[in-house]
Amino acid sequence: MSTRARAVRWGVPAAAVLVVAGAIGAGPVIAAVQGDPQLPELTAEQLITQVSAKWSGTGTMPPMSGTIVETASLGIPGLPAAPVGTSPLALLSGSHELKVWYGSADRFRIAIPGAMSEQNVIYNNGQTWWWDSAANTATKIKLPADGPAPAPPPAAVTPPDAARQALAMAESDTAISVGNDATVAGRAAYELVLAPKAAESLVRDVRLAIDGETLVPLRVQVFAEGAAEPAFEVGFDSITFAEPAPENFTFTPPPGAKVTEGDLPAFTRTQPQMPAGDVAVTGSGWTSVVTLPFDAAALKDNPILAAARPVEGGRVITTKLVSALLTDDGRLLAGAVTPETLEKAAG
Amino acid sequence: MAGPRQATSRSALRLFRSETGLIFRRPRTVAMLAVVAVVPVICGAAIRVFGADGEAILVQVAGNGLALGFVAFSFMVPLILPLVVAVVAGDAVAGEAGLGTLRQLLTAPAGRTRLLGVKFAGMAVFALVTSLVILVAALLTGLVLFPVGPVTLLSGTTVPLVEGLLRIGLVALYVTLGMIALGTLALAVSVFTDTSIGAVVTTVVLVLVSQIITVIPQLDAVTPYLLTSWFQRFDGALREPLATGDMGQGVLAFAAYIAIFGSLAWARFTSRDVTS
Repeated sequence: MSTRARAVRWGVPAAAVLVVAGAIGAGPVIAAVQGDPQLPELTAEQLITQVSAKWSGTGTMPPMSGTIVETASLGIPGLPAAPVGTSPLALLSGSHELKVWYGSADRFRIAIPGAMSEQNVIYNNGQTWWWDSAANTATKIKLPADGPAPAPPPAAVTPPDAARQALAMAESDTAISVGNDATVAGRAAYELVLAPKAAESLVRDVRLAIDGETLVPLRVQVFAEGAAEPAFEVGFDSITFAEPAPENFTFTPPPGAKVTEGDLPAFTRTQPQMPAGDVAVTGSGWTSVVTLPFDAAALKDNPILAAARPVEGGRVITTKLVSALLTDDGRLLAGAVTPETLEKAAG
Repeated sequence: MAGPRQATSRSALRLFRSETGLIFRRPRTVAMLAVVAVVPVICGAAIRVFGADGEAILVQVAGNGLALGFVAFSFMVPLILPLVVAVVAGDAVAGEAGLGTLRQLLTAPAGRTRLLGVKFAGMAVFALVTSLVILVAALLTGLVLFPVGPVTLLSGTTVPLVEGLLRIGLVALYVTLGMIALGTLALAVSVFTDTSIGAVVTTVVLVLVSQIITVIPQLDAVTPYLLTSWFQRFDGALREPLATGDMGQGVLAFAAYIAIFGSLAWARFTSRDVTS
């Protein structure tokens, strides 16, 4: 066989590699070529007016189903990059997926898929079930019989008023603007950008993507100062605005499952242990600093503490979005601010 | 034109028959299939005798024998199945070369491309048979040792027996495709060497290394490109509604591996000098 024929033959696997690499890389490239979607131009005030007109009063969420993905890279020292499980700590790093089916305000289902397991919350006309396949338990959730109904907004406040008030309130410490239109879950969306004005804030901006057609919020991103990738992001990965199949909202405990009545385990389990003592908040808005009494001994063997940086009068833990200062006199100061601000607040 | 083409396709068919006959008549193939069939039986018997504490999926088996199929696949897919497929696929070409029979085969009118196609088909048939053996062994064990009825899915929904069987069949097909992808890799290694044990060991080592990479969090970025990380993504078949996203991506990954390593094997096999 000639050298040339041989070279042609080896060209086939090379082409196969290129095709596969192309298929993997095609998604971002196609998105880049398509560019930003074009929605009718709106100012921040107009956008907020439309959104609040839609959601205050009779505004209802359209029936839909979709997948929500939460991604956090807060840069907390000592946390593994990809912890397993659905514990609250696990949500602080890595990527997590939720599936939602929404029929109406009294019919929805949320599923948390795991490896060979699944947890479900199914709410249907006042009846709530919590299903945990790993524990093989179905829990009928007791809801407070007459909980406080959400207070309706004062009738005098019209959506444009509310938008103007919200803007005025936020304007004092937040710069609000409309960013470039974004594509979220394949849909064109407005992007509302909220940027803190204070220089000591670690947050560069919070970006809210709002669906151009239905005005449903599709994504929230929190960007840290000087970072190209969001430190925290929760948004739809896919979404379909159509009535989900009714089977999603009916739940009958499967045979063999333990059926109990109780509280929503996910919520009771994640209730953080609040340290006893006084909690004080200084500052306001983006630069609020929380001060609470804290015994560093409680964190003794915690890898987070080992990564803390000693400063005058205590130790500082910095992440992309939050700083914490453990003072030697037993206080914990935390906030979305620079460590220097915390030291100043500690006095 | 029709004459010679018919002759070559008939000879390819004859080759395929002799190849599958060769694979399934080997004592080691029979022994491997026996081992593969015994694992679900051991699983079922252990759950029956010792009860199913802890793992919820085992509890499922105790309540419904059909679930044993899923348990068997999730136990065997990480190592036993890849090993068994690697033994057959790694031997496919290198074994013949080692025995000196490859030269003889190449004198047949089928041609090298067809011969490689036949080797691929034989490996694929073996992967399918292995999956079916697991499926049948698990279902029979489940039927004998446990009650069988409507199947409870991971989502807590109960589906009728027939739908449960269809979903297990879907898992078996998915696993088969994954094993064919691995078999293609082993076949490619087999074309590059004259010792079949070398091809088998190389494939198994690759499987182990990629599973080690999967558990190192710092290497998470690599994980989606590894073949092994897609082997167990069949739990979507157990959700309601059927979650096809992961399985669809898995099938694409398998297809990519088959295309790349299949063409590599072809390029090497059709251009190399066969001396033994």
